[in-house]
Amino acid sequence: MNHVTKYGIFLAFVWPQLSMANKIDVTMHYVGPTEGQVWLGVQQGIKEANLQGGFLGQKYQIEVVEPDALESTKVETALLLAEDDDYIMKVAQSEQFATTPVINLISRTDELREACLPNLFHITPSNEMRADALAQWQEKNPDQPAEVMSWHEDFVKFAASQLNNRFEKNQGEAMTDEAWAGWAGTKMIADSVVQTMQYDAKFMLNHLKKDLVFDGQKGDNANFRENGQLRQILLLVDNDNKIVAEAPLRGFKGGLDSLGKVSCK
Amino acid sequence: MKFKTLLLSSMILASTAAAAEPTHRLFATNEKDNTVSVIDSRTNKVETTIDIGQRPRGIGLSPDQTMLYVAISEDNAIAVVDVNTLEVVKTLDAGDDPETFGVNPVTGHIVISNEDDGEATFLDPKSGEKLAVVQVGIEPEGVAVSPTGKYALVTSESSNMVHIIETTNYEAVAHLVVGARPRGLAFNSDGSLAYATSEIGNEVAIIDMETLKITKKAAIDVEGSKPMDIKVSPDDKMLYITTGRGNSVAFLDAETLDLKGNVPVGKRVWGLDISKDGSRLYTSDGVDGTVSVVDTAKQERIETIKVGAFPWGVALDD
Repeated sequence: MNHVTKYGIFLAFVWPQLSMANKIDVTMHYVGPTEGQVWLGVQQGIKEANLQGGFLGQKYQIEVVEPDALESTKVETALLLAEDDDYIMKVAQSEQFATTPVINLISRTDELREACLPNLFHITPSNEMRADALAQWQEKNPDQPAEVMSWHEDFVKFAASQLNNRFEKNQGEAMTDEAWAGWAGTKMIADSVVQTMQYDAKFMLNHLKKDLVFDGQKGDNANFRENGQLRQILLLVDNDNKIVAEAPLRGFKGGLDSLGKVSCK
Repeated sequence: MKFKTLLLSSMILASTAAAAEPTHRLFATNEKDNTVSVIDSRTNKVETTIDIGQRPRGIGLSPDQTMLYVAISEDNAIAVVDVNTLEVVKTLDAGDDPETFGVNPVTGHIVISNEDDGEATFLDPKSGEKLAVVQVGIEPEGVAVSPTGKYALVTSESSNMVHIIETTNYEAVAHLVVGARPRGLAFNSDGSLAYATSEIGNEVAIIDMETLKITKKAAIDVEGSKPMDIKVSPDDKMLYITTGRGNSVAFLDAETLDLKGNVPVGKRVWGLDISKDGSRLYTSDGVDGTVSVVDTAKQERIETIKVGAFPWGVALDD
């Protein structure tokens, strides 16, 4: 195909916001391991971001930053962290990143949520959410032990099977909790850029807090609570590694917000 | 205005299909039974059930309404069924994991969404020849071909887009960003407008097919709504949208997108078809295993027909 003609058609007919999109080149910054499941999740997220953005002339990349080098790094759009709790708190509370979305991918620690920092977001469900899901399960099934997970390789509903299939095909192993969190944190930022055509950190922070509509391939719209925690269903898995239920379980009031704290009091 | 629209739509119909005598059969794909239920739409009774192939989902008719097409996803094929004899005449190689498809009303070509590959396949059902494979976004789903046959639209669920493909040269000419997890597509009668639903975004968008721009979006104000399939009334004034776990069909003003009614049907309603006169809607209610019949004037469900396990889509030969 004649590239010039193709480009001409695109410029002439597609609405102005999309032709602006040709200039969009997004770098997300990441501090964390560059092997293992969370990293594979981030890689899958970036791959999908580029597939999506490619139709609009957009490019996405991940820049890996060493923990000690973050102070001298300019973060344009969002900072993804797979680090320990002290590091997450230190970064989120720093002046440098006060108006940057700081995204905790995999720490489940409740205190991070209770801190209610205005720029800190949490992808993976907190310990408290997991405990509430387990309590709901135990109330209905007192004799059946189960483990709580945010993702499972056998999860099929809500197009989860499609995500499981393409993750395994591309990354060579089954998708786990941590991989899902890496994927979701990355894809969420890319989807937000595609929807808004903006990628400035300050804009992104406001967007994530107020306007996010994200398809985490777990059914309902995944958006953030006041305390920065991502709303989502959880899975209950038995001793044979078989999914036996989704939480919130039927009969419990409050929907997704029946799991864990919601507000900052 | 109304006469003009009617005239236009009848011209398009006349130019595209020398319609055979309709069988008045309503067909429903039962995703988990590997069957198609055949219902007599005049009595709303199940006439028979056809074994069709693995995981039947998308369903539609040839422009002359003599053949029924069924996407059998796990067989990577489209089954072709004679609507009169109900025999499976042949199966067409449809590429990997065909979910659903649209039929070009002018050429008769089938445009298939291949869910796992992120592709749209153009197929000539007469020869079985694959005419083209076009790259689209992740998890392509809904397909619709414009009444004039010029454009094929494909939604990609995980890439949040409607891809607009010219059917003459198979070139994608626009990729429009819509709400999260776009599913269903429909055109108005002359093809000047298209509509796209978004399941997670819970909205519907209007696409101007002259400019290939989105001109309006609106949320669907129905509790639990996850919009799926969409049809337009023959007079182009009303949109009908199945709401998935909202368990209803929402009626929206096609111009303002204001909610004009909400008719409860069965649980997890996905597929939708409309009678040519616009008086009846037919829905496939996945969890209930039923097809619901809705009277559009009364805005109520008038019949519930038990079919197979997890009905996915419906198609009416009227």
